Amino acid sequence: MEFFNSHVLSIMTFLPLLVGAGIFLVPSDQFARLAALAGSILTFFVSLHVWHYFDAASAKVQFVESYIWMPEFGIRAIFGVDGISLLLVMLTTALLPLVILSLWHSHVKNLRFFLGAIMALQTGMLGALVALDLVFFYVFWEAMLIPMYFIIGIWGGARRIYATTKFILYTVVGSLLMLAAAIVLYISYHRQTGIYSTSILDLYSASLDPRTQLWLFGCFALAFAIKVPMWPFHTWLPDAHVEAPTAGSVILAGVLLKMGTYGFLRFAIPLFPQAVPTFAPILVFLGLVGIIYGALTAWVQKDAKKLVAYSSVSHLGFVVIGSVALLADGSLSSEALTGALYQMINHGVSTGALFFLVGVIYERRHTRMLADFGGLASAMPWYSVILIVATLGSVGLPGTGGFVGEFLILLGTFQSSPGAALLAGTGVLLGAIYMLTLCRKILFGPLTHEENKKLKDLTPLEFAYLVPLAVLIIVMGVFPEFFIGKSKASIEHLAKNYRSYSLAIDSH
Amino acid sequence: MFSFPEISSELYITAAPVLILVVGSMIALLQSVSKSLGSRGAVESTAWITVLAAMAATTMIPTAPTEYLAGGLLSGTLSRFGEVMIMAVAVGVMMMMREHHSGASFFRGEIVSLFLMLLSGMLVMIASDDLVTLFVGLELASIGLYVVIGYTNSNRRSQEGAIKYFILGSVAAAILLFGMALLYASCGTMRMSGIVAALPSVAGHGWARIGALLTLVGLAFKLALVPFHMWAPDAYESAPTGITAFMATTVKIMILTVALRLFTGTFSSMNEVWYPAIIILAVLSMIVGNIMALVQTNLKRMLAYSSIAHSGYMAVAICALSTTATGLPVRAILFYLLSYVVVSLGAFAVVMALETEDNDQLTIDDLSGLAKNHPWLAGAMTVFMFSFSGMPPTAGFIGKFFIFNAALTNHLYGLVLIGVIGSSISLFYYLRIVVRMYMADAVAPFGAVKAASGRFSLTAAILALSVAITVLLGTILPGEAMERLVGTAAEIARK
Repeated sequence: MEFFNSHVLSIMTFLPLLVGAGIFLVPSDQFARLAALAGSILTFFVSLHVWHYFDAASAKVQFVESYIWMPEFGIRAIFGVDGISLLLVMLTTALLPLVILSLWHSHVKNLRFFLGAIMALQTGMLGALVALDLVFFYVFWEAMLIPMYFIIGIWGGARRIYATTKFILYTVVGSLLMLAAAIVLYISYHRQTGIYSTSILDLYSASLDPRTQLWLFGCFALAFAIKVPMWPFHTWLPDAHVEAPTAGSVILAGVLLKMGTYGFLRFAIPLFPQAVPTFAPILVFLGLVGIIYGALTAWVQKDAKKLVAYSSVSHLGFVVIGSVALLADGSLSSEALTGALYQMINHGVSTGALFFLVGVIYERRHTRMLADFGGLASAMPWYSVILIVATLGSVGLPGTGGFVGEFLILLGTFQSSPGAALLAGTGVLLGAIYMLTLCRKILFGPLTHEENKKLKDLTPLEFAYLVPLAVLIIVMGVFPEFFIGKSKASIEHLAKNYRSYSLAIDSH
Repeated sequence: MFSFPEISSELYITAAPVLILVVGSMIALLQSVSKSLGSRGAVESTAWITVLAAMAATTMIPTAPTEYLAGGLLSGTLSRFGEVMIMAVAVGVMMMMREHHSGASFFRGEIVSLFLMLLSGMLVMIASDDLVTLFVGLELASIGLYVVIGYTNSNRRSQEGAIKYFILGSVAAAILLFGMALLYASCGTMRMSGIVAALPSVAGHGWARIGALLTLVGLAFKLALVPFHMWAPDAYESAPTGITAFMATTVKIMILTVALRLFTGTFSSMNEVWYPAIIILAVLSMIVGNIMALVQTNLKRMLAYSSIAHSGYMAVAICALSTTATGLPVRAILFYLLSYVVVSLGAFAVVMALETEDNDQLTIDDLSGLAKNHPWLAGAMTVFMFSFSGMPPTAGFIGKFFIFNAALTNHLYGLVLIGVIGSSISLFYYLRIVVRMYMADAVAPFGAVKAASGRFSLTAAILALSVAITVLLGTILPGEAMERLVGTAAEIARK
């Protein structure tokens, strides 16, 4: 138990990878599913332990582990969580068992490889979230791409190779520049202090001249903007989503995209604070363009999956503008930051659910075109209920998590720039239009297509992975404090002190 | 006056690998005249005994830097590092050749004799401080390579490649020799360490500058840096793949060792000549190498262009030698070299495992569906491709990290930017191989591959070892490896 307590984050991070490697050794596919499910549930329990013992009153990083990797170069593996990463860790660990559950009856080719890739992906995501060392963060950030690359490329649709190559090339171009910028930061810190360190806990205190900060912020921001993805770097996303298998889309939308917005909060903003006033208007502008462009594009989509993909561009625009809402006194709006973080989680849950739901009808009908559906409400009543809940969560109806997130973002943004809030508000409106259009075209109207009449409603298995998400959407709307409470101290700390940010280590 | 060199036991230990190889080479040559002694089995035993003995001998080279034979032979960690690597590659290549159809024509008395002789030339070049000895070593290695490329496969393409390599290589050697002569004329010494010491005082001298530039051109030729790269794709493509693997790795080891000895310490005095020239070479190699690799369909040609690009990345770190902080660039180059050698050897081993006598010019499309038929081969190739493109958690990433680190420490922002662009381009063609293997449907010839080569045991061992080293150098060992290179960097810097 002593060992478990002091290594809980590395256990949580590497457990999926171990299970993923073990999957290749088990005799049958059914065993592989069981092993993957057990592994991901175990990981979830480990993360619950972290959640439970996390001290919400403290803004310090907790459960810190530090291992020396390359002592001479100051490269260490430092793991730790604070209120910001904790929520995203929970999102990841909670979503993965559902994804694996959704593969229970699927007969994809080479299932073991598929499950192994998903488990490796989970290690990559968790590692990137808990790493407090630039090199280690980078390693996980890139290592995350490799399984996703295979997931889209092997099990994707017709244009999967184009989509997966585009996905990985876009991401790598950005991240290589980030690597160069990280090295520059590391060298500058050494010039100032004589100490080599890649730990961001140290690097937060580096004082760079404003010009350098601008350049470095630019490099980091580009990598994160591509990942989010922000307009105009978003073009890889619809391709990747459309071609990816359902499980891949859910992970991509649910967690992977949040790595970009998380990167802003953890790295770009606190590491290069003097660049924030210069870049904030640009990011807000791009975020607003993303919100409106994404919404309008989603509105005209004929393919349900593409519609949901474009809605991600729109929703993540909110997260971006919430992350950089500067107040008059130079601090960030903590309401907007809270909203941004909450919206990340909420988007992960509701969009994850939506991709699952699109997958459900795709499996039955092998089409995702909206025109092929209509009137499913009578054929598949339970399906309709869950789709409506997910839609409302995505739209941000009061009583769902989406409302809390968007409201807080708009509140904070309004204090910072009313104009931007107003424009973003139209995004909420447009969001309601296109999401309800989706609902209407699939669920309501006459049941025109003969083959839709005998569609089966949700199977118990589908209930098993959809109901938790639907419940979560509502719980997140009704008891936001339960979730936000854990991150309040960290958010406040970032919002107030990002200009002289530091993260203390909580050694309990 | 000439005095007979003092002979000590350390001298014999340091010279032992070369001596063993020369003796082995002679024995193999004698075997080739007899029918019974010249059989494949007999020649192969000679080759194996010689190479393994020489490899064992290289590991015993003393680490204390000492000069023997008036600078003709050096012991020390750099010599040992280079020699061990070359011999390890030789062992690996022979293992691969043994199971390959070209093995029959490779394990012949005259070819093995030349092979052992060229190995001794490489070792001489690595462990020499004397320009004449160094040049003799280089020529011994080059002439051996020309013949081995041309004779192992007696088809036309092979010979064409050998002739091209021979003509361009001879020109390069002439240029290098001319540069050395001018350096000698300016500095009054044939010793590299003497030139390093004397250059600052003659740096303004026109002939010294021309000599320095020509020497650089000669080395760039051998390293296949753009625009002196033209021989590489043809030679790589036409040589039997085992020899290609050998050439792609050992020539780089040998030239970079010399470059490190020559440039470390002299760079500041010849800044005006070398610095801009190497920057141009590095930039062109990264851009041209990567872009040309992008459009290749032949697997070996693609690997040839990619190796040009990798030379370019290493040249970036050579630029970083210009400042006083020499330790990091030297170690970055050596680490990158190590990872490049391991990964190249592995990648070529995959290519060799798939070649048949009918199809020894594999195209990238030939790899289609490999993951289905040969999942382990495909998995190994994937690791190599990710390492080549610098993705974590592989050795390639750590190598690139240190190269960028060294360059950025010296404010070479532009070069790093081009390196970043080059790496991004390279990802595209490396991934194309992964795409073919995993995401495309199998094409006809592939069912037959496994049956054609039958035995895979030695190649499999090489692959397993390469994968293990690639991954370990990217995860657990990089700190350890870099620490071990500290001594080497210090040894070069001291001079």
